[in-house]
Amino acid sequence: MVLGNYKTCVAARSTDKEILKGAQDGGIVTQLFAYALEEGIIDGAIVAGPSDEPWKPEPMVATTKAELLAARGTKYNLSPNISLLKEATRSYGLDKVGIVGTPCQMQAVRKAQLYPVGMRDVPDKIALAIGIFCMENFPYQSIEAIVEDHCNQKLESVVKMDIGKGKFWAYTERGAVSQIPLKVTHKYEQPGCHVCLDYVSNLADVSTGSVGTPDGWSTVFVRTKNGEDIWNKAITAGCFETKDITTVKPGLELVTKLATDKITKNQKTLDARASFGVGKGLRNPYL
Amino acid sequence: MSKVVEISPTTRHEGHSKLVLKVNDEGIVERGDWLSITPVRGVEKLAIGKTMEQVPKIASRVCGICPIAHTLAATEAMEASIRCYIPEDAMLLRYILQCANRLHSIALHDILVLPDMYLPGTDTKINPFTPEEPVRSVALRIQRLREIGQTIGEIVGGEAIHPSNPRVGGMYKNISPRAKQKIYDLAKEGRMLAHAQEEFMVSVFRNYQKRDWAEVAGRQIPIPKDLGYHNQGYMAAAPIYGSSSLDDNPTWFPERWTEVRPWDWYMGEEEITLEDKDYPVGGTTPAGGKAWPQMQACTGVPLYDGQPVEVGPRARLVTFKNYDEKGAMGLNIAREMEYEGTCYGILEAVDALNTSGKVLADEIPGGDGSLGWAANEAPRGCDVHLAKVKDGKVRWFSMLVPTTWNFPTCSRALTGAPWELAEVIVRAYDPCVSCATHMLVVDENKKIVAQKLLE
Repeated sequence: MVLGNYKTCVAARSTDKEILKGAQDGGIVTQLFAYALEEGIIDGAIVAGPSDEPWKPEPMVATTKAELLAARGTKYNLSPNISLLKEATRSYGLDKVGIVGTPCQMQAVRKAQLYPVGMRDVPDKIALAIGIFCMENFPYQSIEAIVEDHCNQKLESVVKMDIGKGKFWAYTERGAVSQIPLKVTHKYEQPGCHVCLDYVSNLADVSTGSVGTPDGWSTVFVRTKNGEDIWNKAITAGCFETKDITTVKPGLELVTKLATDKITKNQKTLDARASFGVGKGLRNPYL
Repeated sequence: MSKVVEISPTTRHEGHSKLVLKVNDEGIVERGDWLSITPVRGVEKLAIGKTMEQVPKIASRVCGICPIAHTLAATEAMEASIRCYIPEDAMLLRYILQCANRLHSIALHDILVLPDMYLPGTDTKINPFTPEEPVRSVALRIQRLREIGQTIGEIVGGEAIHPSNPRVGGMYKNISPRAKQKIYDLAKEGRMLAHAQEEFMVSVFRNYQKRDWAEVAGRQIPIPKDLGYHNQGYMAAAPIYGSSSLDDNPTWFPERWTEVRPWDWYMGEEEITLEDKDYPVGGTTPAGGKAWPQMQACTGVPLYDGQPVEVGPRARLVTFKNYDEKGAMGLNIAREMEYEGTCYGILEAVDALNTSGKVLADEIPGGDGSLGWAANEAPRGCDVHLAKVKDGKVRWFSMLVPTTWNFPTCSRALTGAPWELAEVIVRAYDPCVSCATHMLVVDENKKIVAQKLLE
């Protein structure tokens, strides 16, 4: 059960060349939101948009495809998307909100729907929640240190960052590629991530990530009835090219392995915290 | 020989209040005291020393029905004290908020007042919760009107209750063009519904005026033609929004306001000598007990030109639109007549709004401690907040809220009515008691003479 409940799992990528150009992998999030916007399934989507500083995401409400395109690609640091969730239903005037986020952010979205404390009139307005795979996240200062100090690249000159094959990669606009072993980055991780037992956004409508599929493709879990409806419509509309997940390498095996690794590792942190202090163990938030 | 009857608590309005009525042998009120028994909130004292940004947020917490009015009045009192002028688009957003607040407040009052009324042409009292027509569609319409008002308040104010968006110097955020369109659509729908609702309610009130009796506690109580008449004056600052000391021609005058202690106004200790076990809900206070209005009242008694005055929808219509109908039903009808205006107000303001315009003043001074006041025409009447701000901190703060004005006025309107119908008169004022509860009594020289009179 490390992969959560899901109805279907496929390898997919967008059929839109423009989306694929700046996308991290298969352009799933951008394409699905773009389709949902076009079809009126959502009025707008909360995404990690660009900010004044390079590679520092700023949550934004995208209501056009152009705005979605501006937010393509993974930025490996914190984007507090939930902070805009209520505002999207207020001064932005949205009735059907799309939101993308990490597993913890999906948990927050669902919690806000179940216990809408301070989230009056928000629960019924969440129309599509897309989750992404996440091992852990970095603060912005960490990304600065990793890219500028370890990879020896200016953040401004980097056009893409990636994590894969046990390494952190930074690609620059002039074609240089820097890579460092992932173990170097561990100390820069956000400590809060080490209690998380969710790798594949179990609570999203649709969750996606690069792990398990070849470069340029993404693994997609369709989890809820709502997610399935939208996904099937998008497939019918020709938005995605798909392959059976069992036919691609490395396949679900790797996803399962990484999910198990994350859960096992973080369970240790949880166990350690449970006995931390003198008779004052912290409560496990997941039990 | 007059008897004393106490209805405590009064029902179907916001807050806790009670009626102590001296009645003659026919059960007609000779002297009525309607007083708040809600515990003192202490907001004015909490405000001292806080920043001017905090105080409007705290002030709004005094009650959940017109927090928009309190937020706006307090914010504008701060702005008046520091002499900060806000951009036009911020003003328009506040105007929309004001109308949205009034829209859903009138709708709520409809639900509260309907159970006293009769379906025209029948001797059946209206139960707003019945599944039967025509009441069910009226109830659904009321719900939708409330939803529309609150949704518009939510879009513009950030929250339907306790709006977060207004701030000293304007508003935190302007709204998006999409939100503007949404407000427009909602207000258009609301206008049609408000019109239908107004027609229904006015016909119900007119029907009550024509009736000879109303059933209370299993008895037929004759309805006097002058139910709820009083000869006090009216006070209103504006037809919809309000006024402040920043205005070129302010329409409220602090020098005309004085306040006396309840000790000097209400009845002394009285023994309760009349009881009615059948009076809804649960009967009146048993005979033999004591009522002591002058000690139990939790409000000061504000006077304008030395007299209690009425504030609220009728005061606005009398002052600005030549309305002239007296009595409890006259007040109810005046409230309904404001229904549609709220939607038109929203439509006009949203039309004029520039969603790209700035909503925050360029400069927000810290203030030099001078007195500023803002009178906001809340759904229930003129809500005046007064403040002195120095270096961004609130030095003095006072709230003069609508129902505080209406307590003594309504008490006078009770005279001459059968005591069983006293609550009908009280409800016509749409009382909102929580925010009315203050204890800050000043003498003619504006010196505080009594802070609190609680045993």
